[in-house]
Amino acid sequence: MSEKRKYKKRYCKYCEAKVDFMDYKEVGALRFSLSERYKIMPRRLTGNCKRHQDMIATVIKRARAAALVPYTVTRKQVVTAPFENLK
Amino acid sequence: MRHYENLVIVKPTFTAEEIQASIKAVEETITSNGGEIAATTSMGMRKLAYPIDKNERGYYHVVYYSVAPAAISEIERRFRINEDLLRFVTIKYDTNREITAWNKLVEKANKAATPAKEEVKEEVEVEVETKVEVEIETEAPVTEAPAEQEA
Repeated sequence: MSEKRKYKKRYCKYCEAKVDFMDYKEVGALRFSLSERYKIMPRRLTGNCKRHQDMIATVIKRARAAALVPYTVTRKQVVTAPFENLK
Repeated sequence: MRHYENLVIVKPTFTAEEIQASIKAVEETITSNGGEIAATTSMGMRKLAYPIDKNERGYYHVVYYSVAPAAISEIERRFRINEDLLRFVTIKYDTNREITAWNKLVEKANKAATPAKEEVKEEVEVEVETKVEVEIETEAPVTEAPAEQEA
C-alpha cells in the first residue's frame, strides 16, 4: 500500500489525438509503436488502449507485407539503419 | 460495390516507360473486371524494407477503386500471374469509419495528382471573382444613380 508507483501513469496517445483510422503507407506514424528491431511494442510499455493497439497491429502487419517496414532486423542492419528509411 | 485499395510494387529493372505501361496494365485489369478507379497515387521508386526476389528497390503505385467483392479474387489471380509486379497488397474498406477514411484518402490523392492544374484553375477563378466584383462595383453606382435621380 505504501509502495509508490514506479512509472508515471500511462495513457493512450492515439486516444488523446483522437485517431480514428491509421494509414499503413504513413510509416513515420508507426514508429511510436515499433521497437528498435521493428517489433510491435507491447501495450504495457506504450500505454496504448486495446482498440488502438489492435488497429496499430493490423496496420503494421500491412506495412510489412508492402515492404515498407521490415519483418525482422539482423545484427548488421540494426547498427546501420535505426529508422533511417522511415520517412 | 465495395471500396478497395491496391498497392502494387513494380520491378525496378524497368525503364520509366515500361513502368508506366505495366501500371496501365494493372489499372486495366481492375477496370476490365468491373472496377471503377477513384484515384491513383505513385509513391515513386523507394528502397524496400527487405529484398524481394533479390531486388533492393521498387516502384510503388497505389490505386483506389470500388468493385463488386466477387471480382477481387479474379483481380488478385491476374496480379499473381503478372510478372512485372514484385508484390501487391489489397486492402478492403468495409466499415463506415473505413469508408470515410477511404474518401479522405481519395481526395488527398486527387489533390496531390493535379496540383499544377488546380492552381491554374484557382487563379482563373480568382480572376473571375475579381471581375465579378468589379462589375458589381460598376453596377452599384448605376443603380444608385437613377434612384437618386428619381428621388
